[in-house]
Amino acid sequence: MTLKITGLSKTYPNGVQALKNLSLTIGNNMFGLLGPNGAGKSSLMRTIATLQEADAGTIDLDGLNVLTQKDEVRKVLGYLPQEFGVYPKLSALDMLNHLAVLKGITAAGERKSMVEALLQQTNLWEVRKKALSTFSGGMKQRFGIAQALLANPKLIIVDEPTAGLDPTERRRFLNLLASIGRDVTVILSTHIVDDVRELCARMAIIAAGQVLLEGAPGEALRVLDGQIWSRIVKTDDEMCSLESSLRVLSSHLVEGQHEIRVFAPSAPGPGFLPVPSSLEDVYFQRLSQQQQA
Amino acid sequence: MFLEFFTFEMRFRLKSLSTYVYFLMWTLYSFLTVASESFGIIGFQNGKLLLNGPYANTINASYAATFGIIVIAAIFGTSVLRDFQRDTYQILFTKPISKFAYLGGRWAGSFVTCVGVFAGVMLGAWLGTFAPWADHARIGPNHLWWYLQPFLSIVVVQIFFLGTLFFAVGALTRRIFIVYLQGAAVFMVYVIGITVFIATRSLEHFWSGVLDPVGLLLINVLTRYWSVAEKNTLLLSFDFSGYSPGVFLYNRLLWSGVGLALFGALWAWFPMSVESLTQRLQGKRAARAQLQSADQEGARRPASLAPVRLPAVHQVFGPRTSLVQYWSLTSLRIRLIFREIPFWAIAAILVAFSVNNGYFAGHFSGADVWPVTYLMVQSVEGSAMLFLLIVAGLYAAELIWRERDNRFDGIHDALPMGESIDWLSKLTAIAAVEAVLLALTMLVGMMMQTILGYTHFEVLQYLQELYLVTFPQVMGCAMFAMFVQTLVPNKFIGHGIVIGVWVLQPVVFNFGWESSLIWPGAVPAYIYSDMNGYGHYVPALLWSLTYWTAAFALLGVVSIAFARRGAEDSFRGRARLAWRRFPPLAPAAGLLLLATAGAGGWYYYNAHVRNDFLTSEDLRHIRAEYERNFKKYEMLAQPKVTAVDASIDIFPATRSFRGTGTFTLQNKTATPIPAIHLSDAFQTVTNLKFDRPSHLSMRSTRGDYLIYTLDTPLAPGKTVTMSFDLAHQSIGFKDGRELAQFAKNGTFFDTDFFPNIGYQKTAELDDPRRRREEHLPELLDMAPRGDPVHSHLNLFTPNSDWISYHTIVSTDDDQIAIAPGYPQRDWHRDGRHYFEYDMGDVHTADFFAYLSGRYKVRREVYAGVAGPINLEVYYDPAHEFNVDAMLKASRAGLDYYEKNFSPFQFSQYRIMEFPRYRTFAQSFPNTVPYSEAIGFIARQKDPNDLDITAFVTAHELAHQWWGHQLIGGDVQGSNMMSETLAEYSAYMVMQNLHGKDYMHRILHHFLDRYLRGRAGETRRERPLALVEREDYVWYDKGGQIMYTLADYIGEDQVNLALHDFLMQNRYAENLYPDTRQLVEALRTRTPPEYQYLIDDGFNRIVLYDNKTVSATSHRRNDGRYDVSLDVQARKVQVDDKGEEHPMPLADYIDIGVFIGKKDEEKPLYLKREKITQERQTFTVVVDQKPTRGGIDPYNKLIDRISDDNTIDVTEK
Repeated sequence: MTLKITGLSKTYPNGVQALKNLSLTIGNNMFGLLGPNGAGKSSLMRTIATLQEADAGTIDLDGLNVLTQKDEVRKVLGYLPQEFGVYPKLSALDMLNHLAVLKGITAAGERKSMVEALLQQTNLWEVRKKALSTFSGGMKQRFGIAQALLANPKLIIVDEPTAGLDPTERRRFLNLLASIGRDVTVILSTHIVDDVRELCARMAIIAAGQVLLEGAPGEALRVLDGQIWSRIVKTDDEMCSLESSLRVLSSHLVEGQHEIRVFAPSAPGPGFLPVPSSLEDVYFQRLSQQQQA
Repeated sequence: MFLEFFTFEMRFRLKSLSTYVYFLMWTLYSFLTVASESFGIIGFQNGKLLLNGPYANTINASYAATFGIIVIAAIFGTSVLRDFQRDTYQILFTKPISKFAYLGGRWAGSFVTCVGVFAGVMLGAWLGTFAPWADHARIGPNHLWWYLQPFLSIVVVQIFFLGTLFFAVGALTRRIFIVYLQGAAVFMVYVIGITVFIATRSLEHFWSGVLDPVGLLLINVLTRYWSVAEKNTLLLSFDFSGYSPGVFLYNRLLWSGVGLALFGALWAWFPMSVESLTQRLQGKRAARAQLQSADQEGARRPASLAPVRLPAVHQVFGPRTSLVQYWSLTSLRIRLIFREIPFWAIAAILVAFSVNNGYFAGHFSGADVWPVTYLMVQSVEGSAMLFLLIVAGLYAAELIWRERDNRFDGIHDALPMGESIDWLSKLTAIAAVEAVLLALTMLVGMMMQTILGYTHFEVLQYLQELYLVTFPQVMGCAMFAMFVQTLVPNKFIGHGIVIGVWVLQPVVFNFGWESSLIWPGAVPAYIYSDMNGYGHYVPALLWSLTYWTAAFALLGVVSIAFARRGAEDSFRGRARLAWRRFPPLAPAAGLLLLATAGAGGWYYYNAHVRNDFLTSEDLRHIRAEYERNFKKYEMLAQPKVTAVDASIDIFPATRSFRGTGTFTLQNKTATPIPAIHLSDAFQTVTNLKFDRPSHLSMRSTRGDYLIYTLDTPLAPGKTVTMSFDLAHQSIGFKDGRELAQFAKNGTFFDTDFFPNIGYQKTAELDDPRRRREEHLPELLDMAPRGDPVHSHLNLFTPNSDWISYHTIVSTDDDQIAIAPGYPQRDWHRDGRHYFEYDMGDVHTADFFAYLSGRYKVRREVYAGVAGPINLEVYYDPAHEFNVDAMLKASRAGLDYYEKNFSPFQFSQYRIMEFPRYRTFAQSFPNTVPYSEAIGFIARQKDPNDLDITAFVTAHELAHQWWGHQLIGGDVQGSNMMSETLAEYSAYMVMQNLHGKDYMHRILHHFLDRYLRGRAGETRRERPLALVEREDYVWYDKGGQIMYTLADYIGEDQVNLALHDFLMQNRYAENLYPDTRQLVEALRTRTPPEYQYLIDDGFNRIVLYDNKTVSATSHRRNDGRYDVSLDVQARKVQVDDKGEEHPMPLADYIDIGVFIGKKDEEKPLYLKREKITQERQTFTVVVDQKPTRGGIDPYNKLIDRISDDNTIDVTEK
């Protein structure tokens, strides 16, 4: 499956331009979408998931026009929205079974084995008969994953799937996704850089409705090799002066002290040590580049 | 601290939209009550009642307080709850705040807001007085106190009491469910309570007023007998004057006290600690923790780290899958609704209301009837309807918005499923819910029939009404609501629009939009009758329902196209999407459009083209136009009808008749008559000819007035024969307003469908408001007694004296046709059933009717004074209940009337049932059509109850004397000589049938009706002997006066007087008697000391105020009891303007002492005493220990406070 997005633009009635002439090609396998809040990730995801119109541009899914042949796309789609709720007083089992019917799995036997497998996989088996409305955030999120995977979807869109999961849950989910993602197209949007690093063969960074970078995470890292420098800063004044003179990508607290990371072709000053680049550096470097532009 | 909470609460309220919405709602409501007569309670009442007068403002205030219960609950209930909903309580209660500051501040804020919101009631009414289109004849100068007093004494007290109640309940329970429902619950409990109380027809007027927590009963109790003059000047008074002394004060004190007590209770029980305030929340938290630990349990199981493969499944799409999807969605939605508490709450309230209303299905017009299926369906459906509509509107909104409300739309909208399936499943879910509620309604109906002892279940009739007539309407409402909810951006706006459309329907109807084709969901009026089923209403109903169902389904198609799916919210975006979705929907849309246009077109063709479509206003215009154009001919000399011969063919199946008629007219005046004037109200007459040369010289545009000029004037004493063809054809169907006279089973039409000589003043509008609208002068009074012209006119048929009558009438083969007269022949020809009737030479009033129906007949022969009398009852086979009772009352009546008045002039007396499209009984010569709805299904449950069948039968029979033997002239007072004397005759029959004690019940009942009748008088009350159009005088007061007279001077004396009067004046011709002769006849039989009764009763309006101040008993040594009664008596005369003037007393009034349970007392002592002083004490000796005593214990005298005549006797 190949998803080809060409020149996609979307402006909301309130004037916010969510997507600006955005083009991307996404093949089989996991594709990560990184970007800050409001970058247009969700707009893009919703548009691909047939839930939103575009003002201009096309989306092609193996010959299907996603913007017009919505029903065809929906048949092969598995979608986990960024945020979703559930009906009160319905159990996970009933609801999955119902959604399976709606997804066209009409053979009762197939449906049963699929629903059970998913409940096992998402670790909801024990609570399958409990009302969804009593689920915690993590449990609900796992249910969302389960429903997205119901009908062997060819195109899976998961929007911020790991938000609200605890570390164990997150790991399980990523594993599950990885195992499925080999044969189908999975688009994963997140602002957690590690998700992408761990999972995705390819990725894109989006900000203000535009693609800042597209490629394999490894390639992106290589570009920054040797250009990331780190140093411990002691005082706030010092921090301020460094910020104004250098391209500070990020700062972390390490044992109560600030460690800043700076992008520079050569050592920016005394005390700076070269460090291996991380995907996060790529992300921040691209964002700051865009802001300067 | 208190101030901080208070100001915070105020700021919050001022910022919230709902505050302004409530305020505007009240402003608009009371604005309309003044600015539009077609809105509100007062507008419809008496035409002289000021719309901004003290009574109007009081009523508006009390209705605002009643319907405002829900608003009060919404404002007060939420104020403490808010802290718990938004979890601010954790912050609040960890701070050092005092209970007073917290509760007091929140309460005071809510109170001030609520008072402010309700002040809209005053503002709106005041603004309404400036509306240029309002009826300014009914708007007086604005008095500030007239606005403020009702507001302060009713609304503010109500807010204090109910607000504190809701506040306390909200603060103590802190449950959103209770807070939102408590207002509706209190409202409904109150409404049910009031219905129950009213249905008991209790005449108790003290406790019912004091204990009424909301005020509708209270105000009814206080103002029940207020005249218009009083209503336009008096405010509810806190003092001990008036007809219900002290009731208002006690009521307000009681409920303010309850409010204070509630505040105290809240103070005592509200805990100011987070710990105790959140016990319930903690319970929820524990449950969640448990679930999560179960989840963790599962997580701990070692799961394989190796990636799993999910099983392969196959997706199938196609029609079958669509069906499976539809079913899965539908059943899920139905399950969700059935699992929610609000649904069961609605169902429970529906059942409660239906049980309550169903219980009173057997009460009709103040008496008991058998709860036949149509009455029961009407009752239970009537109470269920509101809830069915609420469910339609509510669940339409819930289902349209549910995915969004639950934020499940992201998943739902991306499912491979068409919008139509989704929409249809929502509609089906609502349909299922409604079907269940209708089934509940039906079960309640049958249960209540069983409880009421009626077990003839007509399931089919229930199913027809509920599922064929009501269900489509309810579903139409649901589709409409779904459409609205699909288009609007917010659920509450949608609710607003849907409720608006629903509430405005009667309003726009009153503004003249009466066509059922205009307002969404309007259906034509229809009446079910056991004689006819849905009868001729079926086509109109069918096409109307088809039209609206198709139209709403068309909106459904639009809703599908516009269905919200995905994140597209802008209207333009959605319109674009809708356009793209439309092509596959086009065939359905086209088909529905065709159905709508087809059904609507056919309906329009029938209701507006084939039949004249006339609104109420049009009908008024027609009457006004008739009066304006032809009133000038009223006094024109015209010949009188002396003989009628008609041949009428009734075609029940087409609700038509045609025939020919011949009238013989005689010039009984002293001058020649050059032209004959005819009124033809229904334009039935054609081919009219005289037996001599004549020509039509004028025909009104509508054809309702015709003038024929005779080539040679009709000389005095000469006769002319007029022959004509008659036809009335019912064509297609009308939009409601079907003529009740024509039915497939139960045709009943009278002389209105024949030509009438001259101007008919019965067509004149009598409501002063309508006359003002039509710019007509005030209605003229009737002519005074002795008027030189009108004394020569028959009161009932001014254009004839007595006639000879012969007719041949035919009908369908399986029906019986009846007209006055003795049957001559009865034969079948060409598949039709013919009857010939002839009245012979008996004096017969020119007042005849034709009836036809599939009747069962019960016959018996009564041995009359002058020969055998055939008694016959023609009835629907399903209504056999009272046939015997009717015959029994007829026999009792004949016994009494023949013995005391005169022999019965006819040798037959026939009662025939007609469909309940009209509800009355009417006395034609020896022929009494009697509505299906009154006597035929009447039921006397308790021997003390009003025996309506016997009463009405005796009354109508008495008209054969008072109305068919004795007729007064067309002057003031004459009406009482038929109605009052018939009423008196019926009283006497009732007394013979049920005994003397029973009469107290009757007197009390009719006294109340008289007092309420005079309170509603639109013009002015007349004394009995001068009565004009005041039916409460000639029925309710007249009966009382005559009965009391008979009680005082003796029944035999009254009857002798009536006999003398009747024998001297019966069959009057040329000069008719009037009440002067009647009063004189009674006066001569009245002893001197009772002469005042004649003057007070007939020539004046007199009201007593009799009352027992104290009653004590003392046991004597001989075992008997001394009873001391301290009584008060007053009497006033009311003048033409309604003003009361004290009268000196020299009256005989009963003083009585009783024993026994309340309402079953037996007299120990009863003596009529002459009373000359306002306050007097009587001491009497009785044998047993008395329970009750006082003055005028049987309510023989007219007294506005009839309850205080006797009081319990206390022993000393």
